[in-house]
Amino acid sequence: MEKLCVINLSKSLSKNAVLQNINFTIEEGEFLTILGPSGCGKTTLLRILIGLDFPDTGQIFKDGTEITNEVPSNRGMGIVFQNYALFENMTVLENIEYALRRNKTLRNSSRSIAMEMVALVKLDEHINKKPSALSGGQQQRVAIARTLALGPDIILFDEPMAALDADTRMMLRTEIKRIQKELGATIIYITHDQEEAFAMSDRIMVMNDGKIIQLDTPENIVTHPANEYIQQFVIKNLEMKIDSLIKYVNTTPHN
Amino acid sequence: MHLNVYSQHINKTTKGYQKISRLLLVIGLTFSIIMPLIAMMINIFSVNIIKIVTSTKFLSALKNSLLLSAIATILSVSLAYILAWCISRTAICFKGLFTIILSIPMLIPSISHGIGLVILFGTNGVMTNMFNLPFTIYGIWGIIMGSVLYSFPIAFLMVLEIFHLEDSTPYEAATVMGLSRMEKFKIITIPYFKKPMITVLFAVFTMVITDYGVPLMVGGKCITLPVMMYQDVIGMLEFGKGSVIGIILLIPALIACLVDSRIRENGNKEFVKKEFRILPQKIRDFGAYTICTISSLLVLSPIIVFSVLSFVNKYPLDMSLTFKHLQHALKLNAGQYLINSLFIAFLVSILGVLLAITSAYFTVRMPSKISGVLHLLSIMSLSIPGIVLGLSYVIFFKGSYVYGTFAILILANIIHFFSSPYLLIYNTFGKINMNLESVGMTLGISRWHIIKDILLPLSKDTILEMFSYFFVNSMITISAVSFLASVSNKPISLLIPQFEGQMQLECAAIVSLLIFIINMILKGTVLLLKKKK
Ligand SMILES: Nc1ncnc2c1ncn2[C@@H]1O[C@H](COP(=O)(O)OP(=O)(O)O)[C@@H](O)[C@H]1O
Ligand SMILES: [Mg+2]
Repeated sequence: MEKLCVINLSKSLSKNAVLQNINFTIEEGEFLTILGPSGCGKTTLLRILIGLDFPDTGQIFKDGTEITNEVPSNRGMGIVFQNYALFENMTVLENIEYALRRNKTLRNSSRSIAMEMVALVKLDEHINKKPSALSGGQQQRVAIARTLALGPDIILFDEPMAALDADTRMMLRTEIKRIQKELGATIIYITHDQEEAFAMSDRIMVMNDGKIIQLDTPENIVTHPANEYIQQFVIKNLEMKIDSLIKYVNTTPHN
Repeated sequence: MHLNVYSQHINKTTKGYQKISRLLLVIGLTFSIIMPLIAMMINIFSVNIIKIVTSTKFLSALKNSLLLSAIATILSVSLAYILAWCISRTAICFKGLFTIILSIPMLIPSISHGIGLVILFGTNGVMTNMFNLPFTIYGIWGIIMGSVLYSFPIAFLMVLEIFHLEDSTPYEAATVMGLSRMEKFKIITIPYFKKPMITVLFAVFTMVITDYGVPLMVGGKCITLPVMMYQDVIGMLEFGKGSVIGIILLIPALIACLVDSRIRENGNKEFVKKEFRILPQKIRDFGAYTICTISSLLVLSPIIVFSVLSFVNKYPLDMSLTFKHLQHALKLNAGQYLINSLFIAFLVSILGVLLAITSAYFTVRMPSKISGVLHLLSIMSLSIPGIVLGLSYVIFFKGSYVYGTFAILILANIIHFFSSPYLLIYNTFGKINMNLESVGMTLGISRWHIIKDILLPLSKDTILEMFSYFFVNSMITISAVSFLASVSNKPISLLIPQFEGQMQLECAAIVSLLIFIINMILKGTVLLLKKKK
């Protein structure tokens, strides 16, 4: 079923056309990655999808209902930012519970939901710590749990791993995929890392200069690149990484 | 769909409120800063400017002011450098205690430093009598001494901050390269300190040249610009003449502001700095102990002098303890004036903190088209000397119903001391994650709850610091308020020049001591609250 549908979306900021005529749909339970260089409009698109910004033209439909002008908290979506944006004065549990306690329908079960979320992101041992006492990866888990607690059916990630080291990234990658499976959520995931996009996604949306260049499965993007840009930015880049990996494997003595 | 339209509507009305409060803030600040200044400036057209600025009295006041401010600034900043070095680059103990003692002069009015000097070195002063000194304090050197005393702690804290922010890596690299101490000083220390020290020099110069407390007490025949302005306005009600001097007194602060912004634009790089590792070194540390101890005693001397004078019968003839001076001061209504001061200081602190937080929230956390204007208005008072602000308030608000009430004193103090606390909270808010409000919106948490439950708790220490800044300064100020106070709303600090004029030095000492004690209590409380988690 069609979960989200974006039609003819455009947005200018300070007279710059940041997004031009964006059209796409996402299926329920899909993992869609938006891949593109810095400044191509990824964050702006995400902010419009969740309602932190409003488009100049175009419409957004969720489950068949228009939500273009809906306030963010009524859209049933959640967002996870690159820099976590945790409540530094609150403990892990309080971070996750805070929004629940401010929510009329979830207030009474706030503690049990929060504990469920803590278990889901495997932070049980750390519930009474402040964010500053956690590693970057753990902080990002708190942010994810806080977002999931309200039960959104679409979760947006804006380069959630950009500030993390390689090891943590690999681990969190698996975790996010596992959580998605457990919850059956639809995910839109921003990255500028080609490898990450190919490893995680059902489909990839390659963007440049505020436009969608190609939107397809990883296989199709590799086998049928839409143009020279995809060839250069996506495929060449991946090949280079693979080459250097192969070289590394061949030159490292095995003992 | 129904719900949809409704929530849009709410969103629009709250946005409307935010717009209105932002606009009100800009208008309010315009009316309490820009308009009074303009009113003062218009005043100069009613007088013959050329005649005023070419009069012998003016020219000699100008010369005195420039000369003594330059000397006092250099002395004060040099001392500040030496002591800040002792605290941050030697291995002495009690660094915290020394720092606190050396900042103590900030807790008493500048005029009290003048009184302290009069008591020690005046015509009938303690030291004058004891050692039969052939000179007295009155004149330019007295002003310089007093100005150094009261501007020193501010210079000291500023320079200490520069030392704390210095990176040790270049020195380590230089050591590896085998450079000598002198070479290190020349190629690392001087380039690093040059720009921030210029800021300190200008700040101290501005502070000294616009002060009238010290020259009023110990100036004798040496008239400075602020004293001349004070006499013209308070004594002879010559507002035009006062305004001319007022505008001239704006110039150093304006230059300081321009220089400062230029320096800041070029050199505000953020980098990871490495702390200095300091090993004990006998001779150096012994020297530092000596310097810190002597300076601490000097800095404490006015307080000691006040305590002795206040509670002995008749110094130095009859050294028996007594409360008669205190009783006398209370009979002269010091108690009532103290209550006035506390009332003013508390209201200034509470309202000032609220206003500064609101303003910083709009400039940092909710940027819009008028944020720039609001920020500029908020930091503007930094370059308006208290006496100039006071004069412009007299001219602008005279005849209005706030004139002569507590309200105008409170407003004048809030504006006078607004910039520093504003910048404190501006920086604190700026360091808090900028996505918080966005996160809040997506989680259904309103801006107000983000403020109440996250921003404010995270800024607790800054807010306490702001409160204490407003409070202490409201307690010690004599500049803006001296033009605005009447018998019914006079703050206690203004009793000091009054008592001195009536030759009641003991009472002046008691008042200084009272102000000091109250500020110490407040500072202590703030420190405790900060420690509490
Ligand atoms: N508030 C703004 N005003 C003007 N231009 C903006 C604003 N925010 C973003 N932009 C511009 O829009 C473009 C896209 O930004 P963004 O969506 O953040 O890109 P990405 O997330 O892909 O790096 C950039 O060129 C950026 O400079
Ligand atoms: Mg981005």
